[in-house]
Amino acid sequence: MTRSADVVIIGGGAIGTAVTYYLAKRNLKVIMVEKGDIAQGTSSKCDGNVLIHDKLPGYDASLAKLSQDMFPGLTKEIDYDMHWTRKGSLLLIESQQEMEVAKEFCRKQQEQGLPVRIMDQYEVHEDEPKLAKDIIGGLETQCDGSLDPMALAYGLTHGAQKLGAEILTYTSVTGIGLNSDGSVGKVITDKGEILTKNVVNAAGIWAPEIGAMVNLKIPIKPRQGQILVAERTFPVARRKVVEFGYLMAKFEGDNYQRSVPPEMVEYGIAFVFEPTHANNFLIGSSRRFVGMDITCHNGVLKALAQRAVRFFPVMKDINVIRSYAGLRPYTPDHMPIVSDSEVPGFYVAAGHEGDGIGLSLITGKLMTQIICGEQTEITIDPLRLSRFADENVSA
Amino acid sequence: MNDKDLLVCRCEEISDEEIREAIRQGARTITGIKRRTRAGMGLCQGRTCQRLVARILAEETGMKPEDIDPGTDRPPVKPVSFGVLGGVAND
Repeated sequence: MTRSADVVIIGGGAIGTAVTYYLAKRNLKVIMVEKGDIAQGTSSKCDGNVLIHDKLPGYDASLAKLSQDMFPGLTKEIDYDMHWTRKGSLLLIESQQEMEVAKEFCRKQQEQGLPVRIMDQYEVHEDEPKLAKDIIGGLETQCDGSLDPMALAYGLTHGAQKLGAEILTYTSVTGIGLNSDGSVGKVITDKGEILTKNVVNAAGIWAPEIGAMVNLKIPIKPRQGQILVAERTFPVARRKVVEFGYLMAKFEGDNYQRSVPPEMVEYGIAFVFEPTHANNFLIGSSRRFVGMDITCHNGVLKALAQRAVRFFPVMKDINVIRSYAGLRPYTPDHMPIVSDSEVPGFYVAAGHEGDGIGLSLITGKLMTQIICGEQTEITIDPLRLSRFADENVSA
Repeated sequence: MNDKDLLVCRCEEISDEEIREAIRQGARTITGIKRRTRAGMGLCQGRTCQRLVARILAEETGMKPEDIDPGTDRPPVKPVSFGVLGGVAND
């Protein structure tokens, strides 16, 4: 069966469904194609963080804040419970050296108008009484939020369908047909062809495969992250809690080493605590390049549990009921790709690594503005695919 | 009590009707139902309700029971404390 559409979106995760929703709001005829079920890939194997606390002051934080501020409105717009909450987040500070960097980080974010502040030792323990006693302070970001990432994708799909978007699940894209002038002409799937002039590649870790169909190199690599799921229990902490030291190691590079066992560095372990709407909590995070493997590595599970008990000793007796691993779409400069390309009509919205949930809405909006030929809400220069053109990247 | 209100997943208190609604929304696997409803996400990890969910899925879609993917088992096999898993239980 041959269909036609103004835009075809490939991928039904948080990014693909957001792009589909915002395009559908413009009364465009859109079709979303997903090879499995909605949120079957990375979007169901992640956490639900919508954060700015881990973004460098400047463009990074501005982009994240724009996206974050869209969530309250969206949850009212769409009749679907995404379990959105905005309880803020807390970065834990373990040493004086970390405190100095945290203060500077805080000052720069405040200059940008972000609601962040330093908590001293007394205040942080009064606020989160179950914390390990040796934590010397915290950096609080009051606007941070979270939701159920799968419900986000289902909700956006539901919203898009109400606006007339067509959703084709369990449908695989097998090729993209170009016109004689090199522009996009059609999307070929295992269930028929779709005539269209515009295609958005929102295939996440599979984006390089889709890019290869039009000879475009997309430098995204799968990076595995594991998460532990705790049993339902008393509240361990009020909000999202993360270790600052990891951010420091990330920002300061070789100038800073956390005093942690070597496996924490080897597995890229950073303590992340996320309370969920189901009254349990998730513990992350890890970062490893292991190809497309989503099995959980025992050493990583052990390191995650150990790191959790270091920050919240009370967790020692709380049960882990499950673990899972997901593949984050990593790019060499840690920024997503939200861009047109040298193939007319072929667009890319992918490569958000661990920020795909938080940046989903602004990505949907920016991609809609790019396709409609409008001025974008914020410059997309740092997000362009062409930024990788001069580098010798391997997709 | 109406059949619709029958609890299928006791850990997460998910009813027969909620399972059927997830299938109407497009779920075609036990995992797809779990992600939409939380059925099977609780303490027992679906050990009690998985067969019931599979039966409802077969009933609603006409799928053959043997064609229904049983979902993914993930460690730990049974609940284990953070202390034991992290090797710091007796600190």
